[in-house]
Amino acid sequence: MSQATQRHDDTDEETLIEVRNLEKYYGDDGMFSPPPVKAVDGVDLDIKRGETFGLVGESGSGKSTLGRTLLRLEQATSGTVSFDGTDITTLEGSDLKRWRRNAQIVFQDPESSLNDRMTVGEIVREPLDAHDKGTERERRKRVMDLLSRVGLREEHYYRYPHQFSGGQRQRVGIARALALEPEFVVLDEPVSALDVSVQAKIITLLEDLQEEFDLTYLFIAHDLSVVRHICDRVAVMYLGKIMEVGETEELYEDPVNPYTKSLLSAIPRPDPTDESERTTLPGTPPSPRDPPQGCQFSTRCPAKIRPEGFEEVSEETWDAIERFREIVRERTRVELGTVDRVKRRAGLFSKYDDIDEAVKDLFDGVERPPVVDDHLTYAVEQVKAGHPQDARERLHEAFGSVCDRERPAHHQVGDRGRESYCHRHREEYDDVESAIRR
Amino acid sequence: MEEPTSRFDEDSTLRSRLEADPEPALRWAAVMAALALVQIGSLLGGLLSILDAAVVGVTAIFDVLFGLVGLTGASAAVVDVQSALSGAVTTARDAAEGLPTLLSRETIPNQGHLASADGPWVDTFLGLEPALAWAVRVLLIVGYSLFTFYWLFRGWLVFRAHYRQADWTPTDDMIDRLRDHRWGQFGIFVLALFLIMALFGPALGPTTVSQNIVSPYSHEVTYFNADAGAVETVAAGDANFNSKSKGAGDQNVGPMTYDNFNRFHPFGTLPNGRDLFTFMMGGARITLIVAGLAIGLSALIAGGLAMVSAFYGGNIDLTLLTTADGIVSVPRLLLLIMISAIFANHWLAGVLDGGFLLALIFAFTGWPFLWRAVRGPALQVAQEEWVDAAESFGQPPRTIMRKHMFPYITGYLLVYASMSTGGIIVGLAALSFLGNGLGITPPTPAWGRAVSLGQSYVSGPSWHISFIPGAMIVVLVTGLNALGDGIRDAIDPESAGGDDDEAAAGGGA
Ligand code: SF4
Repeated sequence: MSQATQRHDDTDEETLIEVRNLEKYYGDDGMFSPPPVKAVDGVDLDIKRGETFGLVGESGSGKSTLGRTLLRLEQATSGTVSFDGTDITTLEGSDLKRWRRNAQIVFQDPESSLNDRMTVGEIVREPLDAHDKGTERERRKRVMDLLSRVGLREEHYYRYPHQFSGGQRQRVGIARALALEPEFVVLDEPVSALDVSVQAKIITLLEDLQEEFDLTYLFIAHDLSVVRHICDRVAVMYLGKIMEVGETEELYEDPVNPYTKSLLSAIPRPDPTDESERTTLPGTPPSPRDPPQGCQFSTRCPAKIRPEGFEEVSEETWDAIERFREIVRERTRVELGTVDRVKRRAGLFSKYDDIDEAVKDLFDGVERPPVVDDHLTYAVEQVKAGHPQDARERLHEAFGSVCDRERPAHHQVGDRGRESYCHRHREEYDDVESAIRR
Repeated sequence: MEEPTSRFDEDSTLRSRLEADPEPALRWAAVMAALALVQIGSLLGGLLSILDAAVVGVTAIFDVLFGLVGLTGASAAVVDVQSALSGAVTTARDAAEGLPTLLSRETIPNQGHLASADGPWVDTFLGLEPALAWAVRVLLIVGYSLFTFYWLFRGWLVFRAHYRQADWTPTDDMIDRLRDHRWGQFGIFVLALFLIMALFGPALGPTTVSQNIVSPYSHEVTYFNADAGAVETVAAGDANFNSKSKGAGDQNVGPMTYDNFNRFHPFGTLPNGRDLFTFMMGGARITLIVAGLAIGLSALIAGGLAMVSAFYGGNIDLTLLTTADGIVSVPRLLLLIMISAIFANHWLAGVLDGGFLLALIFAFTGWPFLWRAVRGPALQVAQEEWVDAAESFGQPPRTIMRKHMFPYITGYLLVYASMSTGGIIVGLAALSFLGNGLGITPPTPAWGRAVSLGQSYVSGPSWHISFIPGAMIVVLVTGLNALGDGIRDAIDPESAGGDDDEAAAGGGA
């Protein structure tokens, strides 16, 4: 990131955390288990000392898992996380315990993050006890100190979490995270469970504490506006992959990745006269067990590249085709029972006859030019015969573009360390903006 | 929120708080001391009995372990240590029991005899008739004990009101809810009654186990012989022989009657002429010790394994599941019979008259049920973020389980433990009912044996032999269930609340 060195605010200091090709898969032990969920699917990140790094994404994007893997609350499937030069994915025993002091977490849900059978004092003191910091008396003093730093009073020491409001409980959680004087704190949606009125106060507190203790934050959120307010840099995550990363203002002002664009346009804009088009996110994310083979976003992307030979096909038709493919994909995820399999053999399979209905809906008033019609007819037949997998493959063959087939690379955009994960940054394709406007 | 700063001081200790305001504590302690002093002899005796049992239990476990790994020498040494320690404790206990005790058979005797055909009574308390003397003693002991239980609870209230630093804890709510729970209180009351029977059994009976049941021929009974018109003496065994309840009109000593030897029988006599009430009190002690040991061990195993299951999940959980299913699939009674047969001549079968072995068997066959019951709650608490938090600052798994999971499953453990204790008590009675070397070794009293002895007289005048023990078992089991209900409602006022938590814990990416 040589370009970034020209800048001179505190965010371009040395790198504190360097994540390389990190993967976290769930549930792949056992021969007969279904394919693993790729919660984090090859992530590279650099978090600089002293910055607030935002990580946004819809639920299920893997952002929390990424945060937890950085803290060794989850064991990475592969890849490295180097913290100040040490690869922490392989730390064990007392080394791991010693390292843990450097990295702490504040959780989303203040109800669940505090053990409500312990007093607030015991909760905040527990990390100190676990690491044998100082004498009994010193620990108490330190807890009192922490409580007042986060805006609580000393006499709260002997109260139980039940006696506090959500915002106060979150303050307790913050005090606990700071007890061991960590360098790095993961803030896992720290305000999204709180009332709006309280959110701002907690954010301000977090900013003050960062200043005071030179903290590095990883701020995980699904609320884009909060991130814009507090973060220096942001990464946008989708299905286990970082789609775009860059400096906050720049990324918000001028998103270059189709996913980021869609996500940002989903925020209600304060100015109704803003004429930039609202890109809507059609559909739901695909199952993480069965992610697209090419770009993760290809099933929903408004800027998806069309394959050669279909330039003449109208926008509506193409839309209908993409949605039809979605339906077929859904079908392939359904496991057939024995009875259905027997029926399929005997040619009596009728479970999927409703596909006709769906096709009629989709292509209602939409022309089906000959270039597409054959493939569609074949696919419908296959689905009805109980072979949606064949249909899916045929459609992939026929209508699949580079977005369906190949994983994009992370392309450098601009000169401030911005990266975007999309084929459209390659020379041969139109850029994202014009593709969406089409 | 009231302002608690007056009580707040970061460095204050319990002692300094006591010194600052000693009055409530002193008032409580004075009463407590008086209560203890009155019963000092039996109190110490009781404590030493428990100590004795503990010594036997702990050494037995070591002995079994050494035996398993083949260290016969070490195992023999353990037995030596055991008998030495146990001997010392027994001596101390005998000494302690020699101390004066107010509510004892010596101060309020009920065993006396008529001086002539129409009185007066000799040797009884204030010359009252034995039934009355006995009733006075029983009432005093029960009253005393219940009051003592209450006063202990009162001690906690005093601590809570005056000396605790937190003005509120989650336990307060549970206790307060239990205070409004009549059915649960019924359970506590029943359990307290049976505990009293077990603790003060020797003082409650109209006679004692050793006089009347274990060695009746070394004790004598003085009575007024109506036929001869004179006061005579006879061995208790002979007196028993002539006080049998065998269902016939002339061979029956029913509840609340005297036999021909001026002896009062609150529950009547057994077919062999022994006093049923004394028998039941002796049975209460062994039943509660065995059931308590068994359920305690079960709960310990089940709780520990449930947390391991929930914390590690995956293959460990699966292994436990298989093991538990395996144990459950063997019929319990069959297993009990088999193991009893195998160990029939082992010295272990002699500890607590066979009760210790039974407790072990019940514990090792019973934990899977408890484990299944608390695995759910354990899984739920393992999902809580505070567990992750503890992990994130490097708390070792053991500490996490103890500090962050155990407090949440103890409640459930208590609920299910109190409910399954009923099963153990019934099982124990069933074994003794079957007899043939199963269950508690005779002549030590066991409830099941009483039921069994009386079963052929159920429909005659000697109905009491089976009915009273049976009814007592029913009452105790019902009481334990009530207690379980009470605790459940206390820890979980509306079970609906738990579902929300689960949904919240399951959500989030
Ligand atoms: S690679 Fe294709 S599908 Fe993926 S974001 Fe870019 S245009 Fe959309």
